[in-house]
Amino acid sequence: MLAYVGALARLTSQAAYYAFVGPFRGRPLRLGRAFSQAMEVGVRALPVLSLITFFIGLILAIQGAYELKKFGAIHFVADAVAITMTRELGPLITAIVVIGRSGSAFAAEIGTMKVNEEIDALETMAISPVQFLVTPKFLAMILMLPCLTIWANFMGILGGSLFGVLKADFTFVEYMRASVSALFMRDIVTGLIKSVMFGMTITAVGCSEGLATGQGAESVGKSTTAAVVMSIFLVVVVDLIFTSLFFFAGGI
Amino acid sequence: MKIVERFVGEATILDITGDIDLSSSPDLRKVLLRELKEKRTPRVIVNLIAVRYIDSSGVASLVEGLKASRDTGMRFALVGLSKGAREVLQLSRLIKIFEIHDNEEQALA
Amino acid sequence: MPNPIANADSDVMISLHDLRVSYGDREILHGVNMEVKRGETLVILGGSGSGKSTLLRTLVGLEKPSSGEIWLKGKNLASISDDDLDEIRRKMGMSFQSGALFGSMTVGENVGLPLREHTKLEDSTIEIMTRLKLEQVGLGGFEDYFPAQLSGGMKKRAAVARALSMDPEILFFDEPSAGLDPIIAAGIDQLILELKQAFHMTIIVVTHELASAFLIADQMVYIDKGVIIAQGTPAEMKANPLPRVRQFFDRVAEPEVEQEMDYLQMLTATHRRPNR
Repeated sequence: MLAYVGALARLTSQAAYYAFVGPFRGRPLRLGRAFSQAMEVGVRALPVLSLITFFIGLILAIQGAYELKKFGAIHFVADAVAITMTRELGPLITAIVVIGRSGSAFAAEIGTMKVNEEIDALETMAISPVQFLVTPKFLAMILMLPCLTIWANFMGILGGSLFGVLKADFTFVEYMRASVSALFMRDIVTGLIKSVMFGMTITAVGCSEGLATGQGAESVGKSTTAAVVMSIFLVVVVDLIFTSLFFFAGGI
Repeated sequence: MKIVERFVGEATILDITGDIDLSSSPDLRKVLLRELKEKRTPRVIVNLIAVRYIDSSGVASLVEGLKASRDTGMRFALVGLSKGAREVLQLSRLIKIFEIHDNEEQALA
Repeated sequence: MPNPIANADSDVMISLHDLRVSYGDREILHGVNMEVKRGETLVILGGSGSGKSTLLRTLVGLEKPSSGEIWLKGKNLASISDDDLDEIRRKMGMSFQSGALFGSMTVGENVGLPLREHTKLEDSTIEIMTRLKLEQVGLGGFEDYFPAQLSGGMKKRAAVARALSMDPEILFFDEPSAGLDPIIAAGIDQLILELKQAFHMTIIVVTHELASAFLIADQMVYIDKGVIIAQGTPAEMKANPLPRVRQFFDRVAEPEVEQEMDYLQMLTATHRRPNR
């Protein structure tokens, strides 16, 4: 397991090297590929992510209201939804949706290329597979995951507002005001820091599972499954680490 | 690779020495397009007799020169092709498309 | 360590000294020695599992030898830095068994990719070069097709065009005629001969197709169970008296002449799961 995480870290640092250092050492960055990956990872995820996070926000509001009602504090439902979404569930749900859509696709794409000798072909053409394949995905992920997370937070709060307006005597504007005033900048920032870490984790796992694909078509399926399971597990671990770090070390 | 220009009547002769490869063919392309597109030299003759090696980027640059000459109605000819260069042009079916002469006198005639 | 052979004779393109390659703890090549001269076509023959593909993969730097030396253009691939290896690879072309074309790119983009990655040539020049390469392999006009739209033989040709894009000094072929019908396969052999004639490249071909091998080879090596057991010109190979070689050339089905005791041992051994 430790060796696995070490390999992920090595892959991530190589991808980061080609993204941020390589361009100054005569290895030009191909932004076109990163852009098309960003469209695929980010923009095309919007419909399903919007729907899921809207529902999650609604569920949070209902569940929160169930507890809060006991204390006669149902008007705190907006605060509860806003904070839970931005600090925790927004980044996490976004990560899980992106794992399902893109982490698996990374593993399948690179795995298929491995089986078809395309990775070998890149190497014999003196083109680094990490630079050519992983770096654009890496850039797309660390850029798009925070963007998606902000959108997910917003959709979650919107979902909560549906309950707030229908069952907790809020007007829509009041609910939004309550949500905004409940949030501090640090809530949003901790969520975004997490989402960048999630993005790196998903890219590293998806790509390294793809690159580790053996021979034959069935091994592509295996790598794809492994990428999804491993990504979800590691994203939760990373989440735990950063949540505790923010809590114990930063007090935020 | 080195390119020396000579002017004979209305013609410009480009004497090329050395290897035409991935690193030097952009220079050849630049000179050809300048002569044929900007200066509109009525006749450009590329003398390849002192060229030891021409790779496909060099051939592609010559093709670009030929295209420019057709567009502007100028004449573009090659002289002094080595056996190897001939074989490469043959395989790419270019040998009949270029105006090729054995020596400068023929090309100027 | 300087390479005495490459210094003494600059006509040698590749030389191998006691090359050993292992996957894990299983050794595939048990000390291979051979030499390839500039401009020569070498055919590496052998049955499946003989180690011939591993030898090819090692020559292009995809496998690291466990010991021995691979001298190629004055550098030892066994102890080369990544940057130097990339430098040598720009002068190598490899045509893979499956073609290994990138499915998300058109044929033209596939062929132009090394040029776009490694050179500062203008796009217009790269486009012309791409079309020239496709013309040379008989695929003129196919640059906007996707690999999936091509037949098996056309994919192989496109892969050859891509291998040629940087004007390599050495061209490698892995099973060029595998999976093709005899007429298409003969077309690929013809293409290899034409390329050799026009570009004077050093060509290394791994195959088990005898007809094709005898047509294109200047030199042949026959590899069996990880060692070269015969080498020479096609004529010398035809006259080679070694039973294993004869068997291969005469297409006799392998009678598996294992030692009797080994065979009995194998049949009666108590079953043990391989533990890793």
